[in-house]
Amino acid sequence: MSQAFVPVRCRRARPALFLAPAASLLLLFFLAPIVIDVGIAFTNMGESLKVTAWTLKNFDRILGADRMIPLILLTTFLYVTATLFFFNVGLGVVLAITTTAVSDRLGALFRGIWILPRMSPAVIYALLWIWVVDSSPQGLLNQVVTGIFGLAPLNLRNDHPLLVIILANGFVGASFAMVVLTSTIRSIPEHLFHAARVDGASEWSVLRFVVLPSLKGPVWFITIYQALSLLVTFEYILLITNGGPVYDSTTYALYVYRRAFEGGHYAYGAALAIALMLFGVCFTLLQWRLFGDGMNRTRPRIEVL
Amino acid sequence: MFRKIAILATALLTALPASAEEIHLKMWTLVDRDTPYREQNIVDAAKVLNAEYKAAGIDKTIVIDVNRGNQKGWDAYALDMLKAFAVKQGPDIYTLPHEWIGKFAENGYAMNMEAAIAARPWAFNDVLPNLWESVRASDGKIHGVPQDAEIRMFFYNKDMLRKIGKDEAFIDGLPAAVERGDFTLDDLTALAKEVKDKGAAEYGMLHRPNVGIDYLMVFKSFGVKFVDPKTGKLMLPKKEMQNALAWYETNAKEGVTPIDNTAMSWDAIKTAFKQEKAFIFHQGVWAVAWQTGDALGVSWPKDEAGYTHKIGWLPAPAAVKGGKPANLSHPIIYAINPGTKYPDVAADLVAIATTPYFNVRHAVISNHTAITHAETALPAYKANWVVSLASPMMEGADFVPNNPQFSDYNKVLFTGLQAVETGKMTAAQAVGFIADELDLQLGDAVEIHDSAAE
Repeated sequence: MSQAFVPVRCRRARPALFLAPAASLLLLFFLAPIVIDVGIAFTNMGESLKVTAWTLKNFDRILGADRMIPLILLTTFLYVTATLFFFNVGLGVVLAITTTAVSDRLGALFRGIWILPRMSPAVIYALLWIWVVDSSPQGLLNQVVTGIFGLAPLNLRNDHPLLVIILANGFVGASFAMVVLTSTIRSIPEHLFHAARVDGASEWSVLRFVVLPSLKGPVWFITIYQALSLLVTFEYILLITNGGPVYDSTTYALYVYRRAFEGGHYAYGAALAIALMLFGVCFTLLQWRLFGDGMNRTRPRIEVL
Repeated sequence: MFRKIAILATALLTALPASAEEIHLKMWTLVDRDTPYREQNIVDAAKVLNAEYKAAGIDKTIVIDVNRGNQKGWDAYALDMLKAFAVKQGPDIYTLPHEWIGKFAENGYAMNMEAAIAARPWAFNDVLPNLWESVRASDGKIHGVPQDAEIRMFFYNKDMLRKIGKDEAFIDGLPAAVERGDFTLDDLTALAKEVKDKGAAEYGMLHRPNVGIDYLMVFKSFGVKFVDPKTGKLMLPKKEMQNALAWYETNAKEGVTPIDNTAMSWDAIKTAFKQEKAFIFHQGVWAVAWQTGDALGVSWPKDEAGYTHKIGWLPAPAAVKGGKPANLSHPIIYAINPGTKYPDVAADLVAIATTPYFNVRHAVISNHTAITHAETALPAYKANWVVSLASPMMEGADFVPNNPQFSDYNKVLFTGLQAVETGKMTAAQAVGFIADELDLQLGDAVEIHDSAAE
């Protein structure tokens, strides 16, 4: 009988064994970079990658000397909120509702079209945008503006760079919410619609009292998830406007990149990145606090067959 | 049987020549189809040395491992190389834009070349004396060897001037008027505006879209000094800087330069000039290579008479009447890693590549001016009208500072230039921005003055 204890010891070892691949990935690609970044932030590492002193100067700069930061924060705020509100959530909800309201084939076709920007390589997508908003009269947008409306050619990339990057990111971002919310709407049991109609509900009432309530949870998830992702990604901005002109379309994450890799001020970039990490952690904790860990795993309030 | 095999094997082994010692040297440069001899001259110099070793019965072979970086430009290349050196993966011999030598020398990545140069007078004595200034680091010592020389200029399209009714005397007299200080930068703006307004060109004036050095000529014309001659530190003279930026601001406002010049691609800019949509383009003499080449949609005359009938060259005109025009040269240099196992071999290779026979191949194929006196006498050099024509402009040519932090300064300056051109800031605001940024990035390393005369 005493032999029966041996497997118990094995069992204890197993969780660690099973967790090892995931844990080592986390350690290597998440924790280690954070530790290294924090370390670098307290040094004077520059172009030559040499560290000659430990210093708090980088934080001094962020908190006082760097006069670009207020502008960068404002740009980031406008960019994240506008993209999120109008596209990643707003347009996503509209697309999900409309493409599920029409026939399945037509709906699938439109969803397919809207998902194209996400499928295409970032560089090609960005190039297309550059061509669309090209400032010459031959640019696609300008052909419409001058040819059809008879207006002066626009130079959006110079005059309204923030608008361009919001549109470009928004058209990519909308598809995420569209896909998630489409499946949410699909999972609403058919008989609820029938019941509502039997009760004499109008299309609007069906939307208001049957469809929208079911979207609440996923929309919260999408909002938070996409807000974080908008905060830290910048590849389309880098490709389309390079953060310019000057710093006009430079969001915080791109600012970190530009400081570190355009100028070779690695330590300063590392210090700036800490703020971004802290913000991300706080945002995630806040989300847990507000909605609980099980936000996306609560029992559905509607019947799932 | 075994004994037989053993004897045979021993005989074979002794019959084979002992394998020669291979000396592997890493040579790095930035990829550029127009300048293959920057690396090839080192490779060919190794062949010369190998032949000498063989003749002298020395059992060594030099093998050059060439790496051509595909970075966006010289600055990106230099930054990457700094990273490579930092992890001890740097090359033995490398090319570098001269203004980076300060930073490389300071970090111990570029060998002090003074002894090597003194030991090889046969190669280095004939190098143009003012070129040595371009390789002097902040310790006052020479840490590199000039690989080439060139001259920056405004290219202007004479056909467009003819189109708007200017006579030949005016057209051909422009360079002389600029030399005398009669024709100023503002006159250049006015002329470009006239050409554009009369419909002879779509763009009046185009310049590079990214950080570089040619626009620094304009700043020099306006009296901007980047280094305080008294202290040797970087400096920002606000008044002169504002005047220079105001010139770019006016150009953009007047429609002479497109406001998004800095967002255009190199291809778009070169094509606009080549296809005669732009009146003026600001670059270096080596640009004649693509101008007379067959790319970019159209072909221009390749001979001296045909080309000079179409295109003229100007230094940066003076900012005020009677002032001096500004010339700028930007040599690429060879530098040697102090950590190389074979410093003498590397220095020999650089020396051989510096000799006229080798360097002239680079000069004539890429339209760079000679680095030695003897080179100018070679038939190949004489036969190249481009470099012969450009050589006189080398007189009075200046270099950008070799201060290790000048590249940071230049990036900030370029951002300011972009800000005024795009209309995001006025010249005065841009100077404020530049001062703030320099203070932030460089701190005490830069002096901020109200004017250069201070």
